[in-house]
Amino acid sequence: MLDDLGAAFAIALTYFTIIYLTGLGGLFSERSGIVNIGLEGMMIIGTVVGSAGTHYFTLPAPEGFGWGLPWGPIMGLLLGALAGALFASIHALATVTFRVDHIVSGVVINLVAVGLARFLSTVFFGQATQSDSGQPAMHTIDIPLLSSLPLGLGKAFQELSPMVIVAVLMVFPVTYSLYRTRWGLRLRSCGENPEATRSLGVRVAPLRYQAVLLSGALAGLSGAFLAIEVNLSWNEGQTQGLGFIALAALILSNWNPKRLMVAALIFGFAQAVPLRLMDAPVLRSIPPEFVRMTPYLVTIIVLAGFVGKVRPPAAAGKAYEGGTT
Amino acid sequence: MATTQTTRRQIPEWLESLVGQLGALLLALIIALAIGSVIIVLYDESPLDVYGAIVEYSFGSAEGFGYMLVAATPLIFSALATAVCFKGGMFNIGVEGQYIVAMAFAAAAALWFDFLPGPLLMWAAIVAAMIGGMAWASIPALLKVRTGAHEVVTTIMLNGVAASLVAWIIGGPLRYEETGGGYNVNLRTDPFADNAMIPDLGHLLGIRPSVKLTWLFPAAVLTAMVVWFIMRRMRLGYEARAVGSAPGSAQAGGISIGGVQIRLFLLSGLLAGLAGMQQLLGDQGFLPVGYEAGLGFIGIGVAFLGQNNPIGIIFAAMLWGVLARGETALQIETDVPREFVIILQGLLIMTVVITYQIAKRRLLTRQLRREAEVEQAPPPSEPTAGDEEVAA
Repeated sequence: MLDDLGAAFAIALTYFTIIYLTGLGGLFSERSGIVNIGLEGMMIIGTVVGSAGTHYFTLPAPEGFGWGLPWGPIMGLLLGALAGALFASIHALATVTFRVDHIVSGVVINLVAVGLARFLSTVFFGQATQSDSGQPAMHTIDIPLLSSLPLGLGKAFQELSPMVIVAVLMVFPVTYSLYRTRWGLRLRSCGENPEATRSLGVRVAPLRYQAVLLSGALAGLSGAFLAIEVNLSWNEGQTQGLGFIALAALILSNWNPKRLMVAALIFGFAQAVPLRLMDAPVLRSIPPEFVRMTPYLVTIIVLAGFVGKVRPPAAAGKAYEGGTT
Repeated sequence: MATTQTTRRQIPEWLESLVGQLGALLLALIIALAIGSVIIVLYDESPLDVYGAIVEYSFGSAEGFGYMLVAATPLIFSALATAVCFKGGMFNIGVEGQYIVAMAFAAAAALWFDFLPGPLLMWAAIVAAMIGGMAWASIPALLKVRTGAHEVVTTIMLNGVAASLVAWIIGGPLRYEETGGGYNVNLRTDPFADNAMIPDLGHLLGIRPSVKLTWLFPAAVLTAMVVWFIMRRMRLGYEARAVGSAPGSAQAGGISIGGVQIRLFLLSGLLAGLAGMQQLLGDQGFLPVGYEAGLGFIGIGVAFLGQNNPIGIIFAAMLWGVLARGETALQIETDVPREFVIILQGLLIMTVVITYQIAKRRLLTRQLRREAEVEQAPPPSEPTAGDEEVAA
């Protein structure tokens, strides 16, 4: 029983990584005033390009070369992030430069991503919906102390991808940059009142471009992690709406990076339950489909104001007439 | 100076906006096809041949034409569903969830009311689909009006709920009970009776029944016209436009904003409910798991392409059908992978969204400039000038 709980927690940490990274992407974008419902699409691009990066950079390294690092997965992750940022630049161009409605552009991004991923897959792998399976992943690590917890609970902290640690530590640079630097202050003020920001001599458009590109990079990284480290291959539809769950977590967190961690962990756990805990006493009687819909239901309940209260950045989604300034 | 002003003012505004829209569409088409040509050339093919093959496969034979119409049918419904909400200034991203819930409702009706004779069963299933779509759409509508929860986020979340809910319905209450037959028994419902299916139209036009061109296509065109009538000539349409363009004035004019929003969402849900019928009652005759074809999201794209105009949507859906049919053309006739079509579709929507936006901006600035000119124009040297100034 506790064995299962430990294993479920390990899965939850994996999903936490995906949801948190993508959610942080959404955080930067929306804090700058650009609503980003294209996160799912940016993740999809990250999955296919990340997988291709791993595929092409997994070479037998010559003796004494490459410091023994798993360059295939590392390059895959980096390229996935890069591709996500490139793809997000379409969203930035449409919303910031051409002032297209943010929701419209986001929908188009998601729509285009599915097709683009298939096309890229035929280019990279010669088939439209998957890559060869069994690509290499990074070496897993055990967390000292925690991994030796008794009663099987230690399982939660064994054989984790290094990316899980990266995601957890990500909260520090993000919080610092958003709340302790001039850049972060300006970014947030763009999301609250771009006209006032502009009147203080800060150019809104470049900051929003940076935020949206960063958003794409994080979502792409998250997608690449999903393909490389979790599934060990690219498969069409493997994001399973996790981009939307990240969006839900972002709303629930009230656009705050620390609270986003909690939300992402809870939603990650909701993903793990149907996979690992369906024999547990109470959960046994609930169909797994109902567990899967909890993140969405919770978000609707919170959004409707039945429990708690959330407030999005004031200028998010609003047209800003300043155009390219 | 004076003459140019008068001639410019003589162009009616609706014509100016129509020309602007068509120009934007044409520009978008040209840009998308041009970028597409670059990809085609990279595959060592001639763009003219490739585009020719795509068109040929839809218009070169009755069968191809039929396939194109079949692909367009569900998109007309889902795009109309998006457009109706758009007119009221709302964004229904939940068409995806609404039509899959509607499919489950229709499947339940087709299986549970199988005692109904003749076409009654089909009508029962279709009505059930409409009710299902409306029921699912009523949730974001009520949440918006009662609690102010934004419909974009609630509909996105409800899409996720709908997918899980319908997967559960198929695996539970509507589980396939017949044993044998070689199907995975958990992943689909029982097959429907024959009289639940929408009758074939294609054989009247000399198209094989296997193309599955049914009476649903003319019904979709008719629906688009009805929606056009509602939005242009009936009270709901007028109120929708008022709420969509100037909610404050609408309210001051005695329109209940919430009431209009709920009615629009219900109409949208009803239309969304019909989007799944081609697949369910025109083709398969049972509901499998993993049926989500993304019709809701593609419908949004088609609605953009048709500029939320019901008649425009018919043509946009057919254009989409031509491109969908083009996948087969590419696979058989060329070395370009069939996925190229999806890229072309994406390019088209992307460019259309941007060029429409630019056209809209240009119209707006021109309008503003004209108003400014009228205000700033020196009073013409006519005896009525003084009166005009007083009036202004």
